[in-house]
Amino acid sequence: MLRMNQLSKVFRTHMIETHALRELSMHVREGEFVAVTGPSGSGKTTFLNIAGLLETFTAGEYHLDGVDVRGLNDDARSRLRNEKIGFIFQGFNLIPDLNLFDNVDVPLRYRGFKAPERRRRIEEALAKVGLASRMKHYPSELSGGQQQRVAIARALAGEPRLLLADEPTGNLDSLMARGVMELLESINEQGTTIVMVTHDHELAARAQRNVHIIDGQVSDLDDGPRLAAPRPAAAAANPAAAVNA
Amino acid sequence: MAMRPIFSALMRNKAGLALIVVQVAITLAVICNSLFIVLERSTRVGRPSGMDETGTFTIDSLGFAADYDVRDTIHADLARLRALPGVIDATSTNTTPLTNGGWSTGVTTEPGRGVDSSGVQPAAMYFMDEHGLDAFGVRLVEGRAFQAGDVREFNQNTRIQSSVAILTQALADVLFPDGGAVGRQIYGIANDNQPVTVIGIVERLQVPWVGWTDVEQSVLVPAIQIDGNFSRYLVRAEPGQRDALMPQVEKALQDGHSGRLVRRMRSIEEARTRVYRQDHAMMSILGGTMVAMLVITGLGIVGLTSFWVTRRMKQIGTRRALGALRGDIRSYFQTENALMIGFGILLGALLTYGFNAWLMQNFNTARLPWPYLPMGALAMAVLGQLAVLGPASRAASVTPALATRTA
Ligand SMILES: Nc1ncnc2c1ncn2[C@@H]1O[C@H](COP(=O)(O)OP(=O)(O)OP(=O)(O)O)[C@@H](O)[C@H]1O
Ligand SMILES: [Mg+2]
Repeated sequence: MLRMNQLSKVFRTHMIETHALRELSMHVREGEFVAVTGPSGSGKTTFLNIAGLLETFTAGEYHLDGVDVRGLNDDARSRLRNEKIGFIFQGFNLIPDLNLFDNVDVPLRYRGFKAPERRRRIEEALAKVGLASRMKHYPSELSGGQQQRVAIARALAGEPRLLLADEPTGNLDSLMARGVMELLESINEQGTTIVMVTHDHELAARAQRNVHIIDGQVSDLDDGPRLAAPRPAAAAANPAAAVNA
Repeated sequence: MAMRPIFSALMRNKAGLALIVVQVAITLAVICNSLFIVLERSTRVGRPSGMDETGTFTIDSLGFAADYDVRDTIHADLARLRALPGVIDATSTNTTPLTNGGWSTGVTTEPGRGVDSSGVQPAAMYFMDEHGLDAFGVRLVEGRAFQAGDVREFNQNTRIQSSVAILTQALADVLFPDGGAVGRQIYGIANDNQPVTVIGIVERLQVPWVGWTDVEQSVLVPAIQIDGNFSRYLVRAEPGQRDALMPQVEKALQDGHSGRLVRRMRSIEEARTRVYRQDHAMMSILGGTMVAMLVITGLGIVGLTSFWVTRRMKQIGTRRALGALRGDIRSYFQTENALMIGFGILLGALLTYGFNAWLMQNFNTARLPWPYLPMGALAMAVLGQLAVLGPASRAASVTPALATRTA
């Protein structure tokens, strides 16, 4: 699904060069749920942005769903992003001036779907996250957890192959975080590949695989597939850890 | 493009929307009405007087000496003036176009019609001698010019004695709609409603009053007024000679008779400038107002959209992350702008005609012809799109990475 080879990213600002990624290589297979962890400033967001075609990279190779993205221009990257990738942000990034229906509609319009098709997808996606009854509400009328659910509905409505999430629970309390995590798990069970950046080790532990990024490189320690963790049980058994997160 | 969600979002920003709508509406109303008035004034100011404006000037003489003989002086002055090198011709006259002062009368084709006003045409009267047509520089299109034998002197007691006259084409056309004015008789010029025979037609000679509706209805009368020691001369210089000639004329008259005041020497060009000074001032003020309104509105749109772009940075990044092309972002702001301007135009249409109605009532302005509104609306739409170009391009260049990089 996602294959990065010796990927480097250098930010140049004035006299300073920041090597955000140093020859990072990673492979995410179709249907995986990967949690990316690492210290602050290690390059997690940079990795995710490049994975989602939001940023370009300095050197290396990146194939998204078999497409070599190096030669693509801005429009082609936008279209590919629209079609294949769903984004979930730490700050939800809903558009405050649009109601839930119109928020979920945003990527679908850019896709060029006709109105009935869009309506069907929006209603379905909002139903999936349990907010079908609040389509006419505005984001400011919802709790943080509900807003993130809308963002997930928006990411899902285009039926992307890959879901990218940067700290999706970072702005939520533990209860809401758990709800969002369960939603992501069920989405993954239906076949969508998920890459999620998180600081929360408990949540990371629930992913199929953890990738640790340190100083722009994948740390060898826990790269590689491992068995799915016993998810709900672990979370329920250790409420104190959840509160600390 | 996606009109409805843009409209919905706009409705959630009513303060900014109202600001632009009101500004556009007022600007539309002001530019439509101003442009109409400016064009109306410029037509008025641009009308030809029919005479040689660049070569001519008038000069007045008022005798005060006890032995002053106005009749002798007039004849001597005219002979002196015509002998000056650079003078094409000179005549005594009562007034010229563009002065807002002179004699008017009512002219008819039948005697005794002065009582009820039907068939009476208002007309200005110009007195001149047999050199008059040349001195004014008017163009004779039919009949003959005045001859020395046509010219009659008159004063307050005798009233006008002339038996022939020349009409302007405009006056001839209203008096004799079927043509054939030359040789016909008219009334209302000479004393006691004596008939006067039309001997010629000149192409054009405006009345002295620029505000007259029938501004080209003049009658030229071969007469010299001998009254109160006053005389006025119209002198026509050869091309390019006028300014050099004016002081010479002044001196020649002063030297010709010392017992008088020679004064009010004024070129017809100067008279034109004077008489239309208010119109020109009005045009400048309105023109300046229009430009200022357009600039302010344009800047207002630039300011508000710039502010909105800055405020929506994260939203724009998010839209880009969700698949918007740069062109989608640009057209979002362009569409939003078009919607705002559209509302402004709707409100502005009402304001435009309201303003026009008010002007009609208070300033005697005419009704605004309909094409002004669509033209004005088009101008506002173009202004809006020009103003939004910069901010929209800035929005389009927002990086999608902003979606994850801002809190
Ligand atoms: N636009 C930029 N210009 C310059 N340097 C940048 C830019 N974006 C990120 N960096 C730098 O790149 C490095 C990696 O940043 P990145 O945001 O990927 O870290 P992160 O792992 O997501 O951190 P955090 O956990 O705090 O979100 C940091 O040193 C950061 O300062
Ligand atoms: Mg980060």
